[in-house]
Amino acid sequence: MRNMWNDFQSSLFLFYKYVTRGNKVTLTLTILMATLAFIQINIVHGILSGAVNLIYSQTKSNYVGNIVIQPGKDQWGNKEQYITQVERLKRKINAIPGIIGCSARYSTGAIIEYDPDKTGKDIRSISWPVKSINPQDEMRISELHNCMLAGQYLDESDRDQVIMGREVSGGYGASLEVQSLKGVNIGDEVTVFYHNGVVRKYTVKGIYATVFPLADMTIFVTQKEMESVLGLRDRASEIIIRTDEAYPEAYYIEDLRKAGVELQDIRPWQDFIGLVLGIVQSFDIIKKIILFIGLIVAGVTIFIVIFIATISRRKQIGIMKAIGMKESIIVTSYILLALFYATIGISLGMAIIEFILKPYFIAHPLVFPMGKVSLLIVRSEFLTSIASMIAVSIVAGLIPSWQVSRENIIKAIWG
Amino acid sequence: MIEVKDLQKTYTGKVPVHALKGVSFDIPSGQFVALMGPSGSGKSTLLHQLALLDTPTSGGILLDGVDILSLSQHAATDFRLRHMGYVFQEYALIPELNAIENAFLPLMLLGIHRKEYIRIAGDLMDKVGLSDRLHHLISELSGGEQQRVAIARALVNKSKILFADEPCANLDTENKGIVLRLLRKLCNELGQTILMVTHEPEQREFADRVLWLRDGRLEKEEYISKDTQEEALHNGYRTDISSDPDYLKDD
Ligand SMILES: Nc1ncnc2c1ncn2[C@@H]1O[C@H](COP(=O)(O)OP(=O)(O)OP(=O)(O)O)[C@@H](O)[C@H]1O
Ligand SMILES: [Mg+2]
Repeated sequence: MRNMWNDFQSSLFLFYKYVTRGNKVTLTLTILMATLAFIQINIVHGILSGAVNLIYSQTKSNYVGNIVIQPGKDQWGNKEQYITQVERLKRKINAIPGIIGCSARYSTGAIIEYDPDKTGKDIRSISWPVKSINPQDEMRISELHNCMLAGQYLDESDRDQVIMGREVSGGYGASLEVQSLKGVNIGDEVTVFYHNGVVRKYTVKGIYATVFPLADMTIFVTQKEMESVLGLRDRASEIIIRTDEAYPEAYYIEDLRKAGVELQDIRPWQDFIGLVLGIVQSFDIIKKIILFIGLIVAGVTIFIVIFIATISRRKQIGIMKAIGMKESIIVTSYILLALFYATIGISLGMAIIEFILKPYFIAHPLVFPMGKVSLLIVRSEFLTSIASMIAVSIVAGLIPSWQVSRENIIKAIWG
Repeated sequence: MIEVKDLQKTYTGKVPVHALKGVSFDIPSGQFVALMGPSGSGKSTLLHQLALLDTPTSGGILLDGVDILSLSQHAATDFRLRHMGYVFQEYALIPELNAIENAFLPLMLLGIHRKEYIRIAGDLMDKVGLSDRLHHLISELSGGEQQRVAIARALVNKSKILFADEPCANLDTENKGIVLRLLRKLCNELGQTILMVTHEPEQREFADRVLWLRDGRLEKEEYISKDTQEEALHNGYRTDISSDPDYLKDD
């Protein structure tokens, strides 16, 4: 033990001298490369994580909220069509601490017709879901009211007006033009053929666009209107809940169950992001590739520097061995050098990310189609990048120095 | 102190080279031996075998009673560190270390306390006449000074055996004189056993005894008289006269 400590001190001594008496340009450039590699890894990770985070938060604010309640099963195990006693349920839900709001929606299939010149010659007709909202409740749980491209959001008392997503109306930069009504504007009249046979004419009050094409494929009427169409009261197809996100969704779901929301099917938003998950998974692959490339860049740089340092000191290394220095002391001294490059590189990288890049991205976020993305440094990924960089530098220091220092002394000195 | 018995070394390769063809000799403690012979006669090879830098093909070597050929690689490294010093032809110092750091390196490896090794190395640097160069970098020292640092490093472990392979080959006349006188003094004052390879016949006069090697065999040996030694110690490799033309004219 004492021996090992003494050996380590000798390695430390040599390492210290390599740094203080070695070539400063090499030292600076190597550290610079390590810094850049580290920043590169974490910046790309940070942007991708930021993008994923944006997608998630958009999912919650525009699509499914934090928690979705759907009808439970009846006594025969069949899914019920509606949630019942909705007003009572809403009161229970809103009483739970940490829940910001909830919104009950009806949802039903319908065929929507649009006759632009009112001659019956060019009737455009599509089949999309029609949903109802209580505009006041909805404002607490989604950004819909802030997503109006044209016209106005619904008022509680509106009976003969609808708002529709741009994927339904067409125009306004919609991405699925073919399946839309191809050019409905506010003030136009559309006819809705509900599945139960009821037919109503509505004036288009507003057109909205969230960042989700999926969420933009809906027509909204008011709750009052829908209840009159369906002839129902106090029911809902789904209840969307927003929480303050102080805890994971599972906590609130448990609170909901405790509060008596038992029969219904309660799910967190994660259950509804199948589509998004594909994107997140490909981001994860990109992250791994970037990490790999960054580690290769840093590792190879350090490897080359240590390789050149040891190859050009072959003779000195032979001499150190000849005077009785153990190979392990020599190898350790170069591993320490490699670790030094890496840790200084990492530290500088951390400082640059923290004090320059993060503030920069907050001031100048990247503008993605989904919204603004700034750096989101995920702790576990950050720590992984640090740990793997350190591991790589150890290998990059070990291999060349070990190869040179195990060489035959005579060959090293005279060969 | 050094006992060599029927030492043979054959370098295997495309053409095997029989560098040592059975060499035997004893060197008592405190003797300064010069090893001479034509180029290729096996001088360096012999020294490498003795200093555990290479493994002989056959034969035996006892250093201070230790059968060094039976040592494991690890033990051999340790033996080199504790019991011998080696001076190379080129000033084989570590460029990142300054003069005294090079000198105390073996003591540091031995785990000796810092204060202690600085003192010991300092004393030795004084002995080799470099007490005013302790903190110079190697690149700031002359060839002779570097070689003296290397000698200090070789002696710092207080080993009784010093090997030197043409330690003066790269030095000018003045520095040759300094180094040879230093070796002679170390032998006289510290009782150091020295085995030095050399090319130049004048250098052997600083030694007690000369072993002549030819074609891998011991050819002859010669003892140097005390008078010759004294003469060499005082006048050998003196440059004061020849390097100063004015002084020559006056004489
Ligand atoms: N590593 C080696 N591989 C093969 N042959 C070698 C090796 N080292 C030395 N020899 C050969 O062994 C013989 C003795 O070499 P050695 O270096 O011992 O001679 P030397 O007496 O030191 O000569 P010099 O005065 O030129 O230094 C030479 O013929 C040389 O070519
Ligand atoms: Mg030789």
